[in-house]
Amino acid sequence: MNKIFALAGVVIKELYRRKDFYVLFVLTALITVGAGMANFFHDDKIVRYVKDLCLLLIWVSALVIAIVTTSRQIPAEREARTIFPLLAKPVSRGQVIVGKFLGCWLATGVALLVFYVFFAIIIGSKEQHWPVLIYLQAAWMQWLMLAIVIGMVLLGSIYFAAPSSTSTISFVVVVGILLLGGHLNVIALQQPEPMQTLLAVIYYGMPHLEWYDLRDFVVYNLGSASLLATLLATLYAALWTGIFLFLAWLGFHRKSLTT
Amino acid sequence: MKLSPPVILAALLALAFSLAVSLAPRIDGWSNRDKSNNVIGMMFGDGRKLFANHFFTMADVYFHSGYYPSVFDRNASEQKEIIAASHGKKESEEDEKKEIFFNQPKDWVDAFGRNFRITQHTHLEHHDEREILPWLRLAADLDPQKIETFTVGAFFLREHLNRADQAEAFLREGLRNNPDSYEILFELGRLYQESYHDLNRARNAWELGVKKFLVLPEAVRNDNKIVYEALVVNLAYLEKEAGHWPEAIRWFELGIKVSPNPAALQQQINLIHQNLAAPLPGAPGKLY
Amino acid sequence: MNYVAVRQGFFFNIARFQSAQPARPCVAIMSTILKTEKLRVEYRSREFRQAAKVALNALDLEVHAGEVFGFLGPNGAGKTTTMNVLLGFVPPSGGTASLFGIDVREPIARQRIGYLPELTYYYKFLTAEELLRFYAKIFGIARREAEQRIAALLKLVELEHAARRPIKSYSKGMQQRVGLAQALINNPDLLILDEPTSGLDPLGRMKVREIIQRLKNEGKTVFFSSHELGEVETVCDRVAIVHQGELKAVGSVAEISAGHDNLEKAFLKIVGFQTASPT
Repeated sequence: MNKIFALAGVVIKELYRRKDFYVLFVLTALITVGAGMANFFHDDKIVRYVKDLCLLLIWVSALVIAIVTTSRQIPAEREARTIFPLLAKPVSRGQVIVGKFLGCWLATGVALLVFYVFFAIIIGSKEQHWPVLIYLQAAWMQWLMLAIVIGMVLLGSIYFAAPSSTSTISFVVVVGILLLGGHLNVIALQQPEPMQTLLAVIYYGMPHLEWYDLRDFVVYNLGSASLLATLLATLYAALWTGIFLFLAWLGFHRKSLTT
Repeated sequence: MKLSPPVILAALLALAFSLAVSLAPRIDGWSNRDKSNNVIGMMFGDGRKLFANHFFTMADVYFHSGYYPSVFDRNASEQKEIIAASHGKKESEEDEKKEIFFNQPKDWVDAFGRNFRITQHTHLEHHDEREILPWLRLAADLDPQKIETFTVGAFFLREHLNRADQAEAFLREGLRNNPDSYEILFELGRLYQESYHDLNRARNAWELGVKKFLVLPEAVRNDNKIVYEALVVNLAYLEKEAGHWPEAIRWFELGIKVSPNPAALQQQINLIHQNLAAPLPGAPGKLY
Repeated sequence: MNYVAVRQGFFFNIARFQSAQPARPCVAIMSTILKTEKLRVEYRSREFRQAAKVALNALDLEVHAGEVFGFLGPNGAGKTTTMNVLLGFVPPSGGTASLFGIDVREPIARQRIGYLPELTYYYKFLTAEELLRFYAKIFGIARREAEQRIAALLKLVELEHAARRPIKSYSKGMQQRVGLAQALINNPDLLILDEPTSGLDPLGRMKVREIIQRLKNEGKTVFFSSHELGEVETVCDRVAIVHQGELKAVGSVAEISAGHDNLEKAFLKIVGFQTASPT
């Protein structure tokens, strides 16, 4: 485990020494504060649109950080050839995969924490109300979703040599799942065969990332989602992450690094 | 003669500025875009109407605290913006709350996913309706020709948030952008009557609304009888309250032609006739 | 300070460092540290219907504990491929390879080796200290001991002043020194050096030879590839010559050079190079 944590530590250091996170955070902060200063009908108690906007920015930023950071890991190591002195050490390829995953996930978690603390401060100062439980639950669910995404991107990065192609494909897939994933069953029913079967297979076979979006509960102050459902969603995320990491290991452990 | 870089730069800037000043009037004439003073309007062109529609829907979503069907859940024939249809009719608002936007879950994925969606049909109340205002403001900025935005916004400002002044300003803005809108005139009249108790101004607004409606083509009038009926009936009741019986009867008779419930209006006319025939003691103009 | 002078300088310090270390007890001379048996590596051709390219064909190699072993061959002979297999970068298509009796496919086989690549490839955003600390954790070295080793190695390679700067700000010579430090972080029993004298002038190469000799005196085993036959002749106990993926000769320098003026002429004869006959 020490080796895995050592690998994760390097990934975290890389994230906070690159500029991506700071740029996204400053952008989110500026847009949120700017939106909060807008005046609609001289009513300064309006706050939900600010929450909605800020949470949307947090979601976009976290996805960008997760996908861009993860898609670079293995391909950038191969391109910079830092993978060679690393694998010349007593570390297995499976440990490298898990270490990279853990590093990306923890790094994204730290970024999420910073974003949500900012969110809580800004919104709390307007609402005079801090529903910490729902914030924690929303952050936790988002972090779980990012675990699945990171696993998926890591798998993609084994097969796509360029980080840019991995990032692009990952963004398209993730946004597609978030927007359409929950509705594919309805769309499938309206299609002729064999498209109907194909869409049904995709619907049941894909990770349902849209479950992890609890923004509505936060924006509309409707209390927390079911804790049992949250626990089951956690197990579901762990399962999908495990599947992606296993497939990544299958693709990586026998791969020749010199071609 | 050798020119230094700052001199060259200054000369280029002057040339660019001169070109811009001379070409701008000509280029303006080429464009068919609606002129918009708004930055977003200039940026998006005609696409702003799509955004305006989306933001109007967002107001509806906010009104329902997130309980809202997606395009995949809605039956197209049942699609309506509830807040636009139900304003002013409290009983229909209560009925509407019972409406379920989502069908039964189709499978275990759908069923489990509903744990993370809003599944309770609620409406904003106790001044929380203010949360829909930013979306209506944005929708109005992006598409000032969307009349519903102004009427719905004014309704909530006046009725739910007790901000009659803001509602009037919003309606006047809508009227500046849509000078022939009888819907906005109707709302303005309601505002004068219910909030300011200014019957004269209410009458003026409604009569102007009727005039605007009557110059429309017949096909358009046939499709929009509801607001016309509301205009004439409100005018009828206003004149009745003011004791102007002939005017009241005239408006009731016009209302009978378009009302889905002509019997009720006829009853009012009969009541007026009875009073005219045998006035009861007491304050003149009062009907019992 | 130019790159060559810097490399010379730090290799000189390595010699001083190694002499300061206590001598290790000798391991059994003939125990096999590195072994390949019928090692075969094929690369599939990307072109349609082209036969696979055989990079290594039935390579049998043994390196014993405590010896300095030179691995020679012309470009494309299979030296790098052999090293890649030993380090686990490339899976063998056939045969076996082992380090300390452990199959090279097991990560633990690399617990006691140090690897110095020809070109410097390290994380540019890390400092030298962080890089060494990271590798120490990979080796499972206890924190306190790791800190002591890091301090000693940074002093040895003369990077104390730059230890907290990111590697991307280092010159090429400094990066090379970092490479040497990381190769020694675990006090390895087997050092695998990929062309250690590449780019060095004669003085630098001499220093390298001294270092290798010192390491041998410490009981370390050194396995290195090189094109510099002169230094191989001087420092190696045994050499192997590969050509076109096959082992052509293996033995002591004297055995291979027998019947020729020097190792170079023997090498050229073995790889089939025809020298121009004097007219």
